[in-house]
Amino acid sequence: MKFLKLLLLPYLSAVIAAAFLWPEPAEGFLGESSRIVFFHVPCAWTSTLAFLVAAAYSLAYLRRRNPWHDDIAAAAVRIGLLFGVLTLVTGSLFAHIMWGSWWNWDPRESSYLLLVFLYGAYVFLRASIEDPERRARIAAAYALFAAVLMPFLVFVAPRITASLHPQTVINPQGRILMDAPTKTVFFGALFGFSGLFLWLLSLEARLERLSRARRNARPA
Amino acid sequence: MVSSRDPVSTTTLTAEKLDKSFSGPPLFSGLDLRAETGLVAVSGKNGSGKTTFLKILAGLMRPTAGRVLVERDGRPLPEPERRLALGWAGPDLALYGELTAEENLLFFRRAAGRQTSLEDIRRRLSQAGLSEASGRRVEQYSTGMTQRLRIAFATLFDPPLLLLDEPTAGLDAEGRAMALGVIDHARRHGAVVVASNDERDFVAPEQRVELGGGGSREP
Amino acid sequence: MNHEPKFPGMRSVEDEKSVDGLRLTAHGPGSIARVWAICAKDATQELRRRIAIVAVFFFAATALALVSFAIGPFGLPEEDRPPLQAALLWIILFFAAATGLPRAFAHEEETGTAFALRKTLPATLVLAGKTLFNWLLFLAIAAVTIPGFLVLLDWRVGSPAAIAVTVLAGGYGLAVVSTFLSALSARSGQRSVLFVLIAFPLLVPLLLTAIAATLEATRGDFPWMPLRVLIAYDGAATGAAYMLAGAAWED
Repeated sequence: MKFLKLLLLPYLSAVIAAAFLWPEPAEGFLGESSRIVFFHVPCAWTSTLAFLVAAAYSLAYLRRRNPWHDDIAAAAVRIGLLFGVLTLVTGSLFAHIMWGSWWNWDPRESSYLLLVFLYGAYVFLRASIEDPERRARIAAAYALFAAVLMPFLVFVAPRITASLHPQTVINPQGRILMDAPTKTVFFGALFGFSGLFLWLLSLEARLERLSRARRNARPA
Repeated sequence: MVSSRDPVSTTTLTAEKLDKSFSGPPLFSGLDLRAETGLVAVSGKNGSGKTTFLKILAGLMRPTAGRVLVERDGRPLPEPERRLALGWAGPDLALYGELTAEENLLFFRRAAGRQTSLEDIRRRLSQAGLSEASGRRVEQYSTGMTQRLRIAFATLFDPPLLLLDEPTAGLDAEGRAMALGVIDHARRHGAVVVASNDERDFVAPEQRVELGGGGSREP
Repeated sequence: MNHEPKFPGMRSVEDEKSVDGLRLTAHGPGSIARVWAICAKDATQELRRRIAIVAVFFFAATALALVSFAIGPFGLPEEDRPPLQAALLWIILFFAAATGLPRAFAHEEETGTAFALRKTLPATLVLAGKTLFNWLLFLAIAAVTIPGFLVLLDWRVGSPAAIAVTVLAGGYGLAVVSTFLSALSARSGQRSVLFVLIAFPLLVPLLLTAIAATLEATRGDFPWMPLRVLIAYDGAATGAAYMLAGAAWED
């Protein structure tokens, strides 16, 4: 992890610099606002990744009851919450520039808001249970239940009504509508954010494990 | 149907290296038990973990470490039978107040998927000394009546393994005699684990488990 | 990321055939009777306690009256009414249900009857029985609210059959999710707040789809697409609840 940390700093700095300096702003976007795709989408991707990680480790916890897996799941959701909020904020900034309003109840926006609510609910659920075993088990059950219903959360709402949201990067034809510099920075950012996620996850999970150990060591 | 009078099969309850802690130092650790027939007396001061121990044996709580096995003729009992092979009653056992005693027991038999009839339920309640009150709602029951009903619940499926936590609590002389009769019958046809503060509840136990010092010993 | 020696509940995959916490065992043919027994028991309890049931229906009636008062005087044009009515119907139904459905497991824990229940039945059957009860309760609420809607809000429905199917399917999804989450939140502090928080994100897609289906039904079209989504949701939620029942309600 130390290696990752040392690598991330120069890498992400390069990505951020490139995001502002290298590719040309895209057509159809106001001013430089298209650059937000280098931050907004990776944030969204990271929070989704966080959820998948949380679901996977929740499953692992229920099968093996290894408390470390619960630590990881809890940490992943917290980080997912962070990046989820960042996604909403960057999206909102973009919306303001493009259409003049901070929030439009666009279905894709709204379903993302729901996702952030879900993360928050998970955190609240954990906070409301004292016993560590029960907390881990109940949180894992909730995470998995939510994971099963997630597709409805994310895909249903956008289908039911038309969408304001810019056409997604990966469109129905399967082609990626970006020029080379944009593509490079975009995937570079995606990769970098994933690395950032792993590092933060490692920190957060270890912190969780330490605080759990401290709670157990305390005399009853 | 579970029949404790079946000469061929025996049901065994085994606890292996049970630990239990509630976020802090352990309540007990390394607890072993093997019960097939006879009475197991579980004693210890208040707070030593008698109730928790019995709940773990009954499957109502998970141990922090170790395991509980219920076997018939050396093989683990599969789930539906396992649950019903263990009868349990304790101070935490509450039945449905809005329902009558008859309705309660009828419900539990049906819920367990077992044949039942009103006559059978009434007979059981009468054995517990509740024939008069069997049609009354449980929320109107006195402490003694509630305890009698608990014992009726524990024996509802004629289990070969009976776990009774404070079986004579709140009972009058007649009630105590009834409870001790149940224990006596159960110990001859299977195993009974009785947890109590009252030494009079233990009549020549085959085994003793003393909590508050950890571990178990044969008398 | 290393592995620690496991400590809580040593039953791991090697020890048992069924994976604890994830219900994979099948149930026998008597299961339906057992599920029905639980449903009947819950119904008997609620009917005898009366207060709870009355509160739920009273809430629905009050909400309905409030909505009628709020909308009526403004004289909305014909075209604008259907979407609003569809949304309001489901909002009323949801909140009325929210006063009753979460108590499925909470009451068992509060009164201490959970031990007896857990001693006798596996979590999946208890969950199934309570879900059935909650579904029936929801349908009862709908049976009272919808006629009220028809009368007070001058609700014109193109396809009553479609409405019926939507209420059945939507109500079922609501029941499954609410009952499962009720099991999760049954033993926590701030139980009612907790329930709303954990239920909200999961139920919004269901409600949106039900509203869309209701809207289409009002216009006389059979809402194939939304209904398909509803059925899919119901199926997914049922499967997940069944698998996770053990984890949600043990110990």
